Amino acid sequence: MYTITQRQLRERLWYRYQRRLAPYLFISPFFILFVVFALGPLVAALYFSMIKWPGTGPMTFIGAANYLELFEDEIFLKSLGNTTYYAIGAVFVILPVALFLALLINAAVVRVKSVFRTAFILPLLTSTVAATIMFLLMFEHQYGLFNVALEAAGLDTLKWLDEELVKLSVLLVAAWRYTGLNMLYFLAGLQSIPTDVYEAAAVDGAGRWTTFWQITLPLLRPVSLFVVVVTIIGSFQFFAEPLLLAGGGPNNASLTIANYLYRVGFTFLRMGYASAVGYVLAVIIFILTLVQLKIFGASGRN
Amino acid sequence: MRTSPKLWPRIEAVAVHLFLVGGLLYMSIPFLWMVGASLKKQSEIFRNPPTFIPDDLVFGNYISLFVEYDFLRHFLNSTFLAVVHTLLYLFFCSLAGYAFAKYEFRLKNLLFLLLLGSMMVPGYTLFVPLFVLAIRLKLVDSYIGVLLPGIVGAFGIFFMKQNMESVPDELLDASRIDGTTEFGAFWRVARPLAAPAMAVLAVLAFLTSWNDFVWPLVILRTRELQTLPVILAGMLGMYRMEYGVVMAGSFLSALPVLILFSSMQRNFVQGLTVGALRG
Repeated sequence: MYTITQRQLRERLWYRYQRRLAPYLFISPFFILFVVFALGPLVAALYFSMIKWPGTGPMTFIGAANYLELFEDEIFLKSLGNTTYYAIGAVFVILPVALFLALLINAAVVRVKSVFRTAFILPLLTSTVAATIMFLLMFEHQYGLFNVALEAAGLDTLKWLDEELVKLSVLLVAAWRYTGLNMLYFLAGLQSIPTDVYEAAAVDGAGRWTTFWQITLPLLRPVSLFVVVVTIIGSFQFFAEPLLLAGGGPNNASLTIANYLYRVGFTFLRMGYASAVGYVLAVIIFILTLVQLKIFGASGRN
Repeated sequence: MRTSPKLWPRIEAVAVHLFLVGGLLYMSIPFLWMVGASLKKQSEIFRNPPTFIPDDLVFGNYISLFVEYDFLRHFLNSTFLAVVHTLLYLFFCSLAGYAFAKYEFRLKNLLFLLLLGSMMVPGYTLFVPLFVLAIRLKLVDSYIGVLLPGIVGAFGIFFMKQNMESVPDELLDASRIDGTTEFGAFWRVARPLAAPAMAVLAVLAFLTSWNDFVWPLVILRTRELQTLPVILAGMLGMYRMEYGVVMAGSFLSALPVLILFSSMQRNFVQGLTVGALRG
């Protein structure tokens, strides 16, 4: 008798405990990995950024020397400029095109919407590496499709991978890969706007232009915030396209911050310096994200 | 002369379609060009005017891909990593997403904020310490090293939380009254109900692992273990590059994702945008 009640008691206690512990257990894998593979390394990276270390042997603490060197490092400053170029191109060219395409597809006149939607998402499914290899062939000076098309139109051919044009070419690859995804985000946002809002505007005699600026764009704010934040964070971590298309060159003309970090750390084996590059990158992304949240948040209160 | 009232909308519809078809061509031509080039000899790839459909159809590129570059091996490596990654990622993300959606517990809001904040940390910042950590933990050149840091992620948890919120509490309570454990309630009630969302997340997870380039490049040292994107990128740097072979490899590496996507296209497009709308 006694043993059975004790067993029942134990079971009841266990049942109550597993109920209380469950949520902590369920989220623990993420937080364990977060501490080991993100928070720990983030703290370590700060320390690493203040040492001199060729990957093996002793580490020498040198304080802010890496950071001071960084702000006079012309290649780093160039990569910072290039990365900014890509981010601006993504936000002010790729995103407006994506929004425009979404508006067009959402328009009542367009038939076979699903065909367009699918076609625009295909590039996303191709790996960056495969996509860049495809474009490498198309940028080829004599036989590449871009120059063949220019020739056929009676125009001068261009040196797509030369110092002057290489950033634009990288942006063309990025446009190929990411326009469709952002278009889908905008499309989803557009479709969540109730139609009676538009009907009311039409009754008030609002033109198409007014409707877009006064109704569509403000109602798209949550989606726009998401898309812009994700795009900027992504642009500042741009890596594979410039590396594979032009090796970051020629003359570092296409080099991004992430490319430079990799080169410094894993080619030159300057682990401390690479960590300093990484920390500057993190700070830039952090500040930009806060600024955007502030801008979008402030205009959202009206 | 005034245009007839019906003419203008029609011109507009044509213009809209022309613009969209232009976009469609920009999106699809590189892909078609890649498939075409993979079936051409090198001499035909570099021909002006270019041909889309090969004059001289050859399968030599595919043959040398398998014979000279050991393509099958790397294809299987990538498949193995992507499948294991997808299963683990789905399990851990849906479990944590379920916890954030269906429980009240201490520090919940703070922990969730921390989770969202972690999405802001750029991977490259952690690069050097992660690599050092991988060496210390003897994870270099092992698949555990490739997989471990990514088997659960903030995006996946956030995505699953949004979808788990619609699981009815009554069903969960009913299974609790029947005496199932909390994990049992998750596994037998919540998981099947969230299956459509998990399917979307599965495609995304597979895509992430399948296309991952930088981390395998750093962690894996033995060529036999290496994944497809790294092998393809390596072919770019070769002294005498065989474009047809590279195109064949690129096409075959895009194929599994294309098949996966087309098998569940509708759900995917809807599911992909969940985060954007509610975020």
